[in-house]
Amino acid sequence: MMDAARGTAQQRLTRWTVTGPPFAFLLAFFAAPSLIMVLASFRYPGEYGGLAPLVAAPGAAVQDGGLTLENYRFFFSDLIYCEIFVRSLAIAFASTLICLALAYPLALLIARSPKKRRDFMVLMVILPFASNFLIRVYAWMIILGPESGLSAVLNQALALIGVAPVRLLFSSFAVLVGMVYVHLPFMVLPLYTNLEKHDPALLEAAQDLGAGAWTRFWRITFPLSLPGIFSGAALVFIPVLGMFAIPDILGGTGDILVGNLIKEQFLGTRDWPFGSTLSIMLTLVVLACAAGAAAVARRGAHSDYA
Amino acid sequence: MPDARHCRLALCALLCLALSARAADVLHLYIWNNYISASTVARFEAQCRCRLAQDYYSDNEEMLAKLAAGAAGYDLIVPTGNAVATLIRQGALRPLDKSRLPHLANLRPEYLDTEFDPGNRFSVPYAFSITLLGYNEEKMRELGVPVDTWAALFEPAYLKRLNGRVTVLDSQRELLAAALRYLGYPVNDTDERHWQEAKAVILRAKPYWAAFNASSYIKELTVGNIWLAHGYSNDMFQAAQDARKARRPFRIGYATPREGAVLALDSMVIHRSGKRPDLAHAFIDFMLDGRNSADLTNLIGSGNPNLAALPFIAEDIRRNAAVFPGARALGELAMLRDLDHRQRRVLSRIWTEIKVR
Amino acid sequence: MPRRSRRRRPAALVQWAAAAAVYAFLYLPLTIVVAYSFNDSRLNAEWVGFTLDWYRVLLADSDMRRAAANSLFIASAASLVATVLGTMAGIAMHRYRPRLLPLLVITPVAMPEVLLGVSLLLFFVQVLNLTLGLVSVLLAHVTFSIGFVAIVVRARLAGMDESIFEAARDLGATPWQGFRLVTFPLILPAVLAGALMAFTLSIDDFVITFFTAGVGVATLPLQIYSMIKIAVTPEVNAVSTLLMLLTLTLILLASRLAPDALKLDA
Repeated sequence: MMDAARGTAQQRLTRWTVTGPPFAFLLAFFAAPSLIMVLASFRYPGEYGGLAPLVAAPGAAVQDGGLTLENYRFFFSDLIYCEIFVRSLAIAFASTLICLALAYPLALLIARSPKKRRDFMVLMVILPFASNFLIRVYAWMIILGPESGLSAVLNQALALIGVAPVRLLFSSFAVLVGMVYVHLPFMVLPLYTNLEKHDPALLEAAQDLGAGAWTRFWRITFPLSLPGIFSGAALVFIPVLGMFAIPDILGGTGDILVGNLIKEQFLGTRDWPFGSTLSIMLTLVVLACAAGAAAVARRGAHSDYA
Repeated sequence: MPDARHCRLALCALLCLALSARAADVLHLYIWNNYISASTVARFEAQCRCRLAQDYYSDNEEMLAKLAAGAAGYDLIVPTGNAVATLIRQGALRPLDKSRLPHLANLRPEYLDTEFDPGNRFSVPYAFSITLLGYNEEKMRELGVPVDTWAALFEPAYLKRLNGRVTVLDSQRELLAAALRYLGYPVNDTDERHWQEAKAVILRAKPYWAAFNASSYIKELTVGNIWLAHGYSNDMFQAAQDARKARRPFRIGYATPREGAVLALDSMVIHRSGKRPDLAHAFIDFMLDGRNSADLTNLIGSGNPNLAALPFIAEDIRRNAAVFPGARALGELAMLRDLDHRQRRVLSRIWTEIKVR
Repeated sequence: MPRRSRRRRPAALVQWAAAAAVYAFLYLPLTIVVAYSFNDSRLNAEWVGFTLDWYRVLLADSDMRRAAANSLFIASAASLVATVLGTMAGIAMHRYRPRLLPLLVITPVAMPEVLLGVSLLLFFVQVLNLTLGLVSVLLAHVTFSIGFVAIVVRARLAGMDESIFEAARDLGATPWQGFRLVTFPLILPAVLAGALMAFTLSIDDFVITFFTAGVGVATLPLQIYSMIKIAVTPEVNAVSTLLMLLTLTLILLASRLAPDALKLDA
């Protein structure tokens, strides 16, 4: 009996020793900052930037301390911010679709290759990811720049048809290319992990029953790969929504997305409450998309059993 | 494990390296990019037997944001007028000990006793610049575009002739100020209706502009890619010099528009978190000496508020109205005043609309 | 049998072509960056001649050297702390299945980086009144790295046979002995892989460092960014190439140690 009691106490001590430190650290440096940001979105901006005091100093004007809905009212009082959110969603959606279109054939090929070659091919997909993300963006600055070969060839071709020369760099097109390029491995890997687990016997059976290549793909491979598609889509869609560096480097003046707005509020205008409001709105959008995707996935799973 | 031991050794070595980088007699200067000449620095270091460590910023807002975020350790900062006001209100500056600044009398009275620091308790003028139009003289003459007015930047009639070879400053306050001046309003106008009018003027002209550019327009003017640029007078001076040195078939000229423009007076201030106020005072007095002050003007063509510097300044620069504006011209120039947070927020939204639409 | 292979060949060819195109898309831009780092021309436009000048300029650049030293120091320290905390988190998540910890561990990995960056900036300046510098960057890097290490360790533990730990306990080992003699040696490859990943992530991080670095702390990505924005010269290509070599080596090492870790099968 005594041993058992000591065992439980020892077990509890072990559990706290192992769980405690990471839990405490993340509570302090992740959960607390997030809550601070929620709170900040309801505060007034400080006179010189930063935040106004939580409790108004005695004798000061009412608008210099305390909580307020002013930041949210400001967000909704003009359509421009919603416009930028919609544009960010559109770019995120487009990037995800393009990544999917590019990643699927590759993932399928790797999954169907002999086991020896598979690991090597996966490694070859990961290696570009090993380079710094700024380097990958910078590479497209070179390729799409006005002095590059690609621009020259394209504009010459356009000149033949009589179309005015286009600028590839500092445009929405460049932003899209950058987003796709940086996030492609994130789509390939979950897809591959999923496709690898498919049982080839299913496809053989289908072929024996007379199904053509397209039917085999569409009715067997694709539905089975949906969880992989969702994982990959989440790993592309959510980061793209919050990106600011790619529009900042590759985009034109009008290509700003939500991430750029947030950065501008914190480091440029020093309007931290409004920056927090934008961040909270972004978080809500991300949560809504995640919830929506989960609901679709669940409904899809149900219909399979129908 | 051998790995852990090696890791610890490596960490210790890196720590030692980092710590040893702290030298003793160092004056930390936080200053605009390209705002002091190497020979001046060398002369100061020889005179004070110390080292001058420089850190750069390219925008007042960037500097204020970094200081607000807690950057410490700078002895001397060279902010522009309204930023000085902000720093004073924040209580971030050390009052100047005028007894240590014997050369203070060298300064022109027009630049002293400013609105942002009455009595010059915290700041001493360093240099100034005017935000104006720089242009390719040959092209402007050829296309018949007037260069002494903001209309060249905002009127589609003129812009159409320029074929998109125009850039404007990527600065909220500066571009809005130019548009306000063009409409006849003061640069410090805070009436939101006037701001909306200015926004309309800007959006009407925006399709004809190549880019919002804060740094590389010097190069573009010099190379001939851009024919008209909205920018700072010292940058235009540099472009003109570069073009002459590269023997271009055109000359770069610059002029203050007759409707008026923004004057940016940069002052030297001492930050409370700096460790060497003595060296900071020495530096300020050093820069108040005519010869050292003239160095900067000769190098970058910056406006000079120092009387004693006149004999040391190159002949052609002395005649330049952007460097030494006469009394009447000075009357048309105005310094930007700080906005309160409500106005900053509205301006930020207007700027977003300008960028996006 | 022969019928099947003949029908499959055209489809397979299309697949191979598509895959090759994607690989080319992945590697061509980086190849161009590396190639132009040896180009004897200021512009990244066309090949002029071979030179090592840009590497010489790079090594003489004191700002770059300072940034590299900062990056290495921060990455070493941050990956050390993150590995310790992440391993603990991974073990805890596998063994005790807590409810809140996985959320705290995984969310920093899944959410847009800018949100983590600004919330940390707010927290450091407003609540802790901390001057932004080395410490703030370190804390930030540890925060987003813990998740990666934890995922890798947990995946490794999930794939292991539980009976070994039970046997150790039955034989009278204390929890610490059990960890030191049984668990740790078995998860060591995953821990090392996680450490390498944390190191790589820290060296490469841009967004979060951008918000939490303050003034005096330059890291390599921040330095590269300011060079890209202000004056692009092939020196950027040179530093990119060297950085790529470093992270490439680290990722190769990590993939040897924990091949399943990098498949992102959450």
